[in-house]
Amino acid sequence: MNTNEAVPLGREARRELSFSFTGSATEYFGIWIVNLLLSLITLGIYTAWAKVRRQRYFYGNTWLDGHNFEYHARPVKILIGRIIVLGLLVLYNLLVLISPFFSFLLIFYILAFPWILNKSMAFNARMTSYRNVRLNFRGSYWGAFFSFIVMPIVALVSLGILAPLASRYAYNYIGRHLGYGTARFETQAPLKALYGNLGATIIFVILAAVVCGAIGLALSAGIGSFSYGDMGDEEFARLLASGPLVAGLLGAYVALALSYVFYAAGVRNIAYNSTTLDGKHRMTSNVGRLRYVWILVSNLIVTILTVGLMRPWAAVRSWRYLAASTGLLAAGPLDDFVDEAAPEGNVGAAEFFDIEGIDFGL
Amino acid sequence: MIEGRYFPPASSAVTSAVLSGTPEALRLQETGGQEPMMPVLQSVSDPVAGVPRKFTFADGGVFEAAPGADVDGFLGTHKSFFSRLTRFEANLKYIALAAMVTIGLLFVAYRHGIPLLASGAAVMTPAPIVAAIDFGTLETVDRTLFEPTELPEKRQEALRALFAELSFAAGKKGPPLQLLLRKGGKTIGANAIALPGGTIIVTDELVTLAATDDEIAGVMAHEIGHVRERHSLQQIYRVLGIGFMVALVGGDASQLVDDVVTQASAVQTLVYSREFETSADLYSVDLMSRVGRDPVSFVDLLDRIGKDDEAAQETYWFSTHPGMKERRAAVEKKIRELAGG
Repeated sequence: MNTNEAVPLGREARRELSFSFTGSATEYFGIWIVNLLLSLITLGIYTAWAKVRRQRYFYGNTWLDGHNFEYHARPVKILIGRIIVLGLLVLYNLLVLISPFFSFLLIFYILAFPWILNKSMAFNARMTSYRNVRLNFRGSYWGAFFSFIVMPIVALVSLGILAPLASRYAYNYIGRHLGYGTARFETQAPLKALYGNLGATIIFVILAAVVCGAIGLALSAGIGSFSYGDMGDEEFARLLASGPLVAGLLGAYVALALSYVFYAAGVRNIAYNSTTLDGKHRMTSNVGRLRYVWILVSNLIVTILTVGLMRPWAAVRSWRYLAASTGLLAAGPLDDFVDEAAPEGNVGAAEFFDIEGIDFGL
Repeated sequence: MIEGRYFPPASSAVTSAVLSGTPEALRLQETGGQEPMMPVLQSVSDPVAGVPRKFTFADGGVFEAAPGADVDGFLGTHKSFFSRLTRFEANLKYIALAAMVTIGLLFVAYRHGIPLLASGAAVMTPAPIVAAIDFGTLETVDRTLFEPTELPEKRQEALRALFAELSFAAGKKGPPLQLLLRKGGKTIGANAIALPGGTIIVTDELVTLAATDDEIAGVMAHEIGHVRERHSLQQIYRVLGIGFMVALVGGDASQLVDDVVTQASAVQTLVYSREFETSADLYSVDLMSRVGRDPVSFVDLLDRIGKDDEAAQETYWFSTHPGMKERRAAVEKKIRELAGG
């Protein structure tokens, strides 16, 4: 079934537009290092300005059809959000330190999570514009509760067998509630393709486990023979006997992290390719799963080897790849979108997700 | 005069346009338009490398300057903070300098700044909070780890007297010191624990294992050192500080980078822990010398506790305490110093 044919053609023929990123690693290095320096000198206060500058650099240098994106958040608001979130986190940790009994507060966190998610998505959407029209997000509490609390638990309990279902609900939820001005997005990720992606991921896990395990074993054996000859210590030898086990566990952890990246990239492709805007324009995504895993792994290695100095290069590299792999099948010119008043979201919720490293964008 | 393009209020439609006049009295002429518009300027986006500057007008219309247009010249803002910053960020010489200063600062903050701030914060932590931490922790460990002491009443009295002697010599500055005796059982065994609010727990097993009272007193003095020098609070604040620094550096890092750095900083807390143990050992030597007891004998007791554990002899990167050989050497050195001075 091809939904494209059902869509009436616009004023012009369909155009295949691709996102592109025009920033460079050197340029971003300058912004990054100055951000870091000023954040250090101001004991972290500048991080709010730094974040806005970083976002504006990445959004502003991302182009589609001759127009760029823009990030609009005000640093002072970000700073206030950060102070509130940090205050709450410190308070919570202090209470738990005083008595573990206070861990029960986690229940309230879980109950508040859908609300925080909606407010955070709304804020981030509202702060993003393209061609003078802003994105918006109108979530519903129970929809978020089902998609982001119930379904992940279901996926976990089913040992991943129902993970594609959970991914489908998550992306459909986000797509369905996202808007661009008065136009709405709509995502209907097909379950069959998502299961195909899971199958590919399982094959990838097996291959990754074999490779990672072998590397881990070789490394531990290498270190073992080297150190054993050196020390000749019975105790030390016993310690090393646990080496293969440690290496195996480490290998499994790495394999799991890589498979997650592999799986998520596949889901992104499927979800984007089944997302429409205003019922006529369609998003496209063709992220190479292996290629993307490779980009993240090599980024990590280079970043560690250069004690973080190549981090700007790595950030630019992955962003550029994702932008280039994303596109829009436009059913006509993009000049008839109209902005509207929409929920502003909550900066504290957005900063909470930022600080906790919770991120639904890929 | 700036060339660019114009978006009407709340619309994605675009026409090429020219902006002229002054910031207070703007004239916007759309290409092919009839009369020029007189928009009221609300804000102009700050400069960032590669990003076109956008003029937002009071009615919601937006004028986007063409790439490379001299917006700062037009507005007279080339000396504003972000204009200077943008030029700074694009200058290779300056950013090389900034990189060196940043690396230096990170190193100083890590070696001196965080420990200094942590000890300051530890002193400033209100006493009721510290007392509450003691109360909560004690309640938890009593329920999960310890059992009531089974030492004879007379022995308990003697230990309390010993503790009173030491705490008197330690002085009143800081949280009030209190000794609690507990049976450690299988999980804890022979051990002593100091809570930040001045509660010191010594287990029956440790008392039984000791050959002399001086050995026990040395361990008590070590724990008093933890309390008086506020080690547990400092540890908490240092870990927070490291976490904060990691967040600063990795502000834009991906989850993978974040994970790795977090694991690495966990090793750092062990380094801190060993530092505090050494410091408490030296405190113990000092206090024991002052009350005229044998300052080195507690090391024998620690040796006996760790005798089944060969790994306790050496310092490893995953150890919470320094190796016993290292501790004994440090204690003996301190004693020689005290004797010499």
